[in-house]
Amino acid sequence: MGNSILNIGVSGLQAAQAALLTTSHNISNAHTPGYNRQQAIQSTNIPQPAGTGFLGQGVHISTVQRVYSEFLYSQGLQAQTQSSQLDSYYTQIKQIDNLLADTTSGLTPALHNFFKAVHDVASNPTSVPSRQSLLGNAEALVARFQSMDQRLSEMREGINSQITSTIDEVNSLAKEIATLNINIQTTEGSTNGQPVNDMLDQRDTLVRQLSELVNVTVVRQDNGHHNVFIGNGQALVVGSQSMTLKAIPSPDDPGKITIALDAGNKTILLPEKQLQGGNLGGMLDFRQSSLDKAQDALGLIAIGLAQTFNDQHQLGQDLDGVLGEDFFEIPQPKILSIAGNSPTSIIAASISNAGDLNTSDFQFKYDGSQYTLTRLSDNASVSSLTAPSTVSPLTLGGISVTAATIQPNESFVIQPVRNGAKDIAVAVSDTSKIAAAAPIRSQAASTNTGSASISAGVVNPLPVNPNLSQPVMIKFHVPDDGMFDATGTGASLPAMNQTYTEGADISFNGWTVQINGTPAAGDEFTISPNTGGIADNRNALLLAGLQTKNTLQGGTASFQSTYAQLVSQVGNKTRELEVTSKAQANLLAQTDQSIQALSGVNLEEEAANLLRYQQAFQASGKVIEVSNSLFDSLLRI
Amino acid sequence: MRVSTSTMYDQGVQSMLKQQEALFKIQQQISAGKRIVTPSDDPVAAARAHEVSQAASINSQYAENRDKAKASLGLVESNLQGVTTIMQNVRSIAVAAGNPILSESDRRVMAVELRGRLEELLGLANGADSEGNFLFSGYQARVQPFVKNAGEVQYAGDQGQRLTQVTSSRQIAVSDAGSNIFEQIMDGNGVFTTSANASNVGTGIIGAGAVANPTSLTGDSYEINFHVTQDPLTLKDIITYDVMNTTTSSTVSTGNTFADGNMITFDGLQFDIKGKPADGDQFKVTPSSQESIFKTIDNLINVLETTTNDQSGKTNLTNSLNTAMQNLDQGIDNVLSARASVGVKLQEIDALQSIGEDNALQYDQTLSRLQDLDYAKALSDFARQQGLLEAAQQSFIRISGLSLFNKL
Repeated sequence: MGNSILNIGVSGLQAAQAALLTTSHNISNAHTPGYNRQQAIQSTNIPQPAGTGFLGQGVHISTVQRVYSEFLYSQGLQAQTQSSQLDSYYTQIKQIDNLLADTTSGLTPALHNFFKAVHDVASNPTSVPSRQSLLGNAEALVARFQSMDQRLSEMREGINSQITSTIDEVNSLAKEIATLNINIQTTEGSTNGQPVNDMLDQRDTLVRQLSELVNVTVVRQDNGHHNVFIGNGQALVVGSQSMTLKAIPSPDDPGKITIALDAGNKTILLPEKQLQGGNLGGMLDFRQSSLDKAQDALGLIAIGLAQTFNDQHQLGQDLDGVLGEDFFEIPQPKILSIAGNSPTSIIAASISNAGDLNTSDFQFKYDGSQYTLTRLSDNASVSSLTAPSTVSPLTLGGISVTAATIQPNESFVIQPVRNGAKDIAVAVSDTSKIAAAAPIRSQAASTNTGSASISAGVVNPLPVNPNLSQPVMIKFHVPDDGMFDATGTGASLPAMNQTYTEGADISFNGWTVQINGTPAAGDEFTISPNTGGIADNRNALLLAGLQTKNTLQGGTASFQSTYAQLVSQVGNKTRELEVTSKAQANLLAQTDQSIQALSGVNLEEEAANLLRYQQAFQASGKVIEVSNSLFDSLLRI
Repeated sequence: MRVSTSTMYDQGVQSMLKQQEALFKIQQQISAGKRIVTPSDDPVAAARAHEVSQAASINSQYAENRDKAKASLGLVESNLQGVTTIMQNVRSIAVAAGNPILSESDRRVMAVELRGRLEELLGLANGADSEGNFLFSGYQARVQPFVKNAGEVQYAGDQGQRLTQVTSSRQIAVSDAGSNIFEQIMDGNGVFTTSANASNVGTGIIGAGAVANPTSLTGDSYEINFHVTQDPLTLKDIITYDVMNTTTSSTVSTGNTFADGNMITFDGLQFDIKGKPADGDQFKVTPSSQESIFKTIDNLINVLETTTNDQSGKTNLTNSLNTAMQNLDQGIDNVLSARASVGVKLQEIDALQSIGEDNALQYDQTLSRLQDLDYAKALSDFARQQGLLEAAQQSFIRISGLSLFNKL
């Protein structure tokens, strides 16, 4: 009997000791990340039957379990991966947002100053300082394009190196999880299936860390293994095996790091769309949806400006009396040979019409019979059975493929505007080469007796007519019969017996004039080269007018409005991400709070438990003391 | 709900960070003076601000252009004012030269004075701006517009007009080609010109005439030939004239009776001949052609230098002075209308200037509304946010100080 009391007292002591140990463990791990509080579960020992009934046999600790909800944990993974994705996207795009920033930095002031200088030349076409200032402002504009592009390229480089380091981290986490899978299985096997709480916590923590990097799905096996899948179902850890990911240059674009699976002897490219969630998903999404677009939009403005300005500049005449040359160097499309193409395969592409361009990439493909050029944004395409050439190019959306040496089933990617902001340059360095004047002028003969006047004349759009500088005379018939003869050198000249209509366009040799009023018989008008016309500013005015003209995106947007679109797109996306990432962060905090509410350590609670089990320990000690005194009193008998 | 100890710390820190971030944001806005620090603060307004700032920048550019246009036009106007003065001066000399009591040498003195005026006029017509660009040479700023060639002034410029963009939709010509102002002036009455043959011996003086019927005009040249016969009975002179169309070499009418000062009318033309033409005297009517001011004055000088004081010389002088005066009047009209057009342009620029200033104010206001900070609101937000942060800090200190372990 005394022995039995002693045993019960001892079981109580042991149970209280275990509970005290568990409580101390909880207290010391109160701030350990991923720690779930543990409880020592007490249950009564099997009672001993006696004639009078069952006598209790004390207590034992059946197990130490963690307070844990699998459901909450999965919710936490989801919230974490989404929050990380949005957060990483937001952090990145915020940089572009800052870059574009307000109206006093960014592209806007450089663009304004440039056109201000053009206006200045229009006002003082003979002034060398005005012309010098135009060149200076053009250089400043180009430098602004380049520095903004440089910043975006640096971000691209940053993304590349972050992807690489993220992949390293994913790989090491995968390895650790696989190792824990094995350890948990063996440890639990050796303890009759008692849970290894701290190891389980550790594995959950690793998976949670993985979910910060990429979307994670966990499938629990009966043997205690956790199989981990990332993105949209790519297996990363299966039992004790972990896969290795690799960051490699994209076969489409060597400047872009993408992700592949290392399957021993070969690498399998993982589609970026399938790698959603986490920092990785955020970065890929940012690169695809915002960085590329911002760089393309900037390139589009640069190319559009260079092309339209050049086109007009070439219609003018410079101080030396010769036709204008290229003012800007027009950036060429970036052509990427797809990995696997024969090294001898090559294509040539150029921008045929900057006004039709948008920011989309193009694909050029040869399937063995047809050559096809496809715009990737809307899959519009043109194709031909013969290889494109300079004479018969394949043209779509402002892009012309002018030559192709290509094997069947090979393809090229053309990024028409990606390098636009990087490659734009000022081609003119001599102030006298700025073509402010028009190359022709019109004149009414001083002997004219009629009231007709001739307009100053404009040069027709490119290409420049080779006979532009050939003088042409328009002479009205004597006697007056409402007709005139145009004589001079050039195609369709001389043109006799042309009917005169007041204000109608008269166009020869690549220029157009109008005659208004009533000409008299024998009246003469001449259109001649604008020799010495250095004070003429007609072309400068047309150049200045390009600032507000809708020349881009199929004639719907000016340079400034295209830039404003970019600002608004990036601003809106940043705003949206700011809001959604905050909302997601709140959701994450709430989920974490729920997890903490259930599994977190509360020190007050543990303090109370400490007291409780201390008391239980002391009480059990008393039981032993009583059993001892009972035994003593028996001995004393 | 159970609250774990680390939640208590995490939440406390989180809420303090959040308050701090908001406080920092307001501080950024206050120090920049702007509501929109980055486009994401208000994407729509940010994009709009870029467009409005372009409009404002262009508007200020147009204002600069208008100032330049005004300066150029002012220069042209002051030059043309000088030209008008000289021409009026020349005209009054021409009037004075008609005085019959003047001797041949008197007229030569006048001719000398006219030569001085002509040179002065040439100087003004070759005027240049501060950069040495000629005002009236069209596009060819460095080509002297009026050059004397073998005694005759010729225009070496072109008919180009320099334009300035003064608003988005308006280009104003800030220069006028010299040929328009000094050269392309219709002589006579603007439609036809009358003249007397220099070898006439009668006293017939032909008037400038006018168009009687515009629909009958032919634009041809005519000759009026006078015949004087004696009436065998009264022994009075019978003066008749024939009208010949020299362009078509046809006769318009013959044997018309002439009466001093009566209107002679044919083919829509009408003019008078005063005095008494002699037999064989000839008058000409030709369509107006263009004559330069310099040529007109030069002709006038020639007349003054060569006319003799005999009867036919006097008639010739009167006829020539009439022609010269008509042409001078046409020239003065031409210069005055050029000045009027400059004046109208200056007026228009002034009007556009005030519209431009209004626009600038509008753009400024729009930009300010789009991106400027409401300081009163921002400062009160700042104070409120500061209070919130302090409250979060103090409550955190209190809560973290409460622990059962302190009582054990």
